[in-house]
Amino acid sequence: MHILWSVRASARHCASYKFTANVPLHRRYYKPWGATIGLELHVQLAAAQKLFSAASAKWDDPPNTNVDFIDAGLPGSMPRLNPECVSLAARAILCLKGQVQPMSSFDRKHYFYSDQPLGYQITQQRHPIGRGGFIELGQTDGLDYTKRVRIHQLQLEQDTAKSVHGAYPGYILTDLNRAGVALVEIVSEPDMETATEAVHFVRKMQTLLRHTGVSSCNMEDGSLRCDVNVSVYRGNEGRLSGTRCELKNLNSLRTIRGAIEAEVSRQIELISAGHCMKQETRGFDAHSGKTVLSRSKETAPDYRYMPEPDIPAVHLSEDWIEHIRSSLPELPEATLSRVTRQYGLLSEDVTTMLGEPGCISFFEHAARGRDPKRVAAWITSEIFGQLSYRAQRLSESTLTVQQFSGLLDALASNAVTSAQAKLLLIEFMDGDKRTADELIQAHGWEVMNDLGRLQDLATQLLDKHPKEAAEYKAGHKRRLNFFVAKIMATTKGQARPQDVSRVLKESLDGKQ
Amino acid sequence: MRRSLRALQLKSCWNASCKTFTGSRQYRSTSAPVTVLSALETIAKCNPALNAFASHIAPTEISSAESSDGPLKDWPIAVKANIATALPTATSCASRALGTYTSPFQSSVVDSLEGAGAVVVGKTNMDEFGMGSKNTFSIYGAAINPHTSSSDAKRKDMAESDRRTPGGSSGGSAVAVAAGMCRAALGSDTGGSVRLPAAWCGVVGFKPTFGRISRHGLVAYGSSLDTVGIIARNVADVQSVFGVAAVPDPLDMTCMSSVLRARIKALTDSRPWITQVQGRSETESAPLAGIRVGIPEEYWVNELSAPALESWKAGASRLAALGCEVVSVSLPHTPSALPAYYTLAWAEASSNLARYDGIRYGRRSSIRPDTRDLQNASQKYANTRTEGFGAEVQRRILLGTYAMSSAASEHYFTPSQKIRRLIQEEFDKIFALPNALSMTNTLASQTTRPPGVDVLLFPTATGAAPRLGDQEDSKVANYVNDVMTVPASLAGIPAISIPVGHTDGMPLGLQLAAQYGDDELLLLVARHL
Repeated sequence: MHILWSVRASARHCASYKFTANVPLHRRYYKPWGATIGLELHVQLAAAQKLFSAASAKWDDPPNTNVDFIDAGLPGSMPRLNPECVSLAARAILCLKGQVQPMSSFDRKHYFYSDQPLGYQITQQRHPIGRGGFIELGQTDGLDYTKRVRIHQLQLEQDTAKSVHGAYPGYILTDLNRAGVALVEIVSEPDMETATEAVHFVRKMQTLLRHTGVSSCNMEDGSLRCDVNVSVYRGNEGRLSGTRCELKNLNSLRTIRGAIEAEVSRQIELISAGHCMKQETRGFDAHSGKTVLSRSKETAPDYRYMPEPDIPAVHLSEDWIEHIRSSLPELPEATLSRVTRQYGLLSEDVTTMLGEPGCISFFEHAARGRDPKRVAAWITSEIFGQLSYRAQRLSESTLTVQQFSGLLDALASNAVTSAQAKLLLIEFMDGDKRTADELIQAHGWEVMNDLGRLQDLATQLLDKHPKEAAEYKAGHKRRLNFFVAKIMATTKGQARPQDVSRVLKESLDGKQ
Repeated sequence: MRRSLRALQLKSCWNASCKTFTGSRQYRSTSAPVTVLSALETIAKCNPALNAFASHIAPTEISSAESSDGPLKDWPIAVKANIATALPTATSCASRALGTYTSPFQSSVVDSLEGAGAVVVGKTNMDEFGMGSKNTFSIYGAAINPHTSSSDAKRKDMAESDRRTPGGSSGGSAVAVAAGMCRAALGSDTGGSVRLPAAWCGVVGFKPTFGRISRHGLVAYGSSLDTVGIIARNVADVQSVFGVAAVPDPLDMTCMSSVLRARIKALTDSRPWITQVQGRSETESAPLAGIRVGIPEEYWVNELSAPALESWKAGASRLAALGCEVVSVSLPHTPSALPAYYTLAWAEASSNLARYDGIRYGRRSSIRPDTRDLQNASQKYANTRTEGFGAEVQRRILLGTYAMSSAASEHYFTPSQKIRRLIQEEFDKIFALPNALSMTNTLASQTTRPPGVDVLLFPTATGAAPRLGDQEDSKVANYVNDVMTVPASLAGIPAISIPVGHTDGMPLGLQLAAQYGDDELLLLVARHL
């Protein structure tokens, strides 16, 4: 989709201009230059089957196992539009506050490549399923100002097969599992001005689309891919006056940021040195931190768009669109303000939980009848810590709300120490199916409430370590931690740290 | 719209054509229904000379397969080589690019036919991917018309090139039916590929409304025009096959849904002047009284031969004699149909044939691409596609590719789409029946007959089958024969070619066409012609 910029290389840009600095300041990041940035996101839909066939959409299954006749482009095979993909695309544009189009249709985009079994990609060029909408960036996203980035359109299209280079010398291997998996391409208006805005836009898009079940939106596995259009202009010229370059295959947020920064600098330097900007497609080389030419406009393929004759136009009724709208979950922004208010939480904590699909619902279940702040703290520190250590999503974890609630109750009633509770959590997340109570019993854990025994332990310990005891008394109050740690180790964590420290203090302070 | 019929005023023509007319009736009623065994015998005897089949089953293969019970019980059916079958024979489209390709799935239409008892006896010869009008562009070589002209019959020795072409692209299917090698055959009709060979081989060729028969399993040429067509010796057999084949199919999104079929039925049944005809017995003196037949004057083209004109007049007279009101009508956009058709069909062909790259199936060039430049894709494709496609297919792909290029699309592709829409609208204006696609509600039953015609009558071809060796003045001349058949394809309306008359012993065909979805009325009128 290249529709937003005029394709002229402005002659005015060829005049030399004194380059000042591109030191990041505030919004005018590249003063006195401005950058104009638009994104094209390719998002794999979370549909079970492909866009036009009944084959499973699990593209990471063993190679060439999920292939229907149309996916291999067999003669006589015909596409069948998967209604689930239409619903998911409608969800996507509705959660971006855009409009589902009452009529949409498909087109063929032609080019020869081994990852394209039909010789064309079925996409929506003339009548996309979604238009309009926006994403609002603000403080909760890490910006200190607000910014609205408009959505130009959202179109349904097929993914390509996967080409495997270098596995077999002299050959490119083709895995058709991904061929025909449903994508939506989301095209933003060129409303962004800095790399930071672009990164926040992508992040927010991920949150929204995960939250509404449209896509898993992972850049690591390619279920979200990003192309960026960048042009620069001088402060006194129009935002769209520059010639744009397209940056392709940016596969992480860091790459997006790096590529935009590098490209803006390159364009400013080029124009400042009196050169003309040429419209190009470029990639990003992370090692050198520079963008590199991959295709000039002259060698761009002619896609020969043509209406897809095998798929009739899709007509969606007002009722159907309303049905989809009403099935959407509460959108993250509404959830954020509601959960923050209702439970008295910090908006940072709620934002963190919003970033994890299913987490808010997990939280709200667990918070029923419990201290919401404590529940949120456990989720954002302990559970998220474990998830990131395990490189897992909450939805993939074996931890259940019931287990987590039982853990919190045991903790609140002092049945376990927080050290034991953390161990419980690890066991739950390792796949243990037992409840908190059952596990506590199985371990034979109970909190040592026998203060007399703690007293004895303390006395023994102080006798054993006279040097440290003396240091404490000499004013090195932090020596206390040494003794606490020793007793915690001896009691295998079954004593409450606060009890231990009180008993120790009494012993040390009393033993004048 | 209604004009006096100037073509039918000369009494001498009337007499002359009545004679040829009677001749064709006799020709069609001679043979008894073909059985599977007799079909296989005839294939064994005649196919070496006629080259109708690309492959066929042996008599030993039928005893093992038990056919289903149904209206087509034990009908021997021939299937064009671009329709996928479960037979372990190639769905080759008569192309080197596919060669020995066998399909892992069967087309929906063959499934339906087999479900009704039909036995597929073989795959028929054709022009490569359906591109051609003489069945000469084929890896199997040309199919031969079983008819010999009266003058040739007297000759002692005839060279191969003196034989007549069966027409194309479904040439093999028409030959198979005409020679008794099957009882009915499936072909495909993109711009006349069923009607033209049917006319030249003296059999009935029917192209139904686009969407009546599923295209799933039909190898695409021009998808928005492609239609599975039926060839048989008489209209009754065509009707039997059509009744089984014209069913909804979820595997083809462009195949009419049961909802649309019901809407069309309600619409076509809302005409009392037609329903009264349907209720009449065939033995009545004027069985078609109440039906209005249009003679489109634009089809009287310069290229139209005298015998074709004669047969046209004879057909009109025959319909008038059956009680029809015959009127002259005008379809002024007809001359634009041919260029628009070729632009659209070739553009779609260039797209549909892009998949034949030799990577996943089919023939791959043995010339290894330059491995030093693996990123350059075009190199890898060029060898395979140059070797795999014949000259005519290459010509059409290249022209179609050009017509869709960003530089040419607005001068060729877009105007052709507009012409296509104009032609569709023009047909809608001519017919009494409204187009079911442009209607939101079905009409209440009408008491008075609206203006407009029920069917159109015009020749299928400008003349009889040429000799295989006949050289046209230019490549373009090859395409001119399609001038009679492409308008119905562009409009997606049903059309049928019926043998009416002969010239020098070679059969001629007349076409009837009707409004979108009015296939049953078309077949009813055709049955009387």
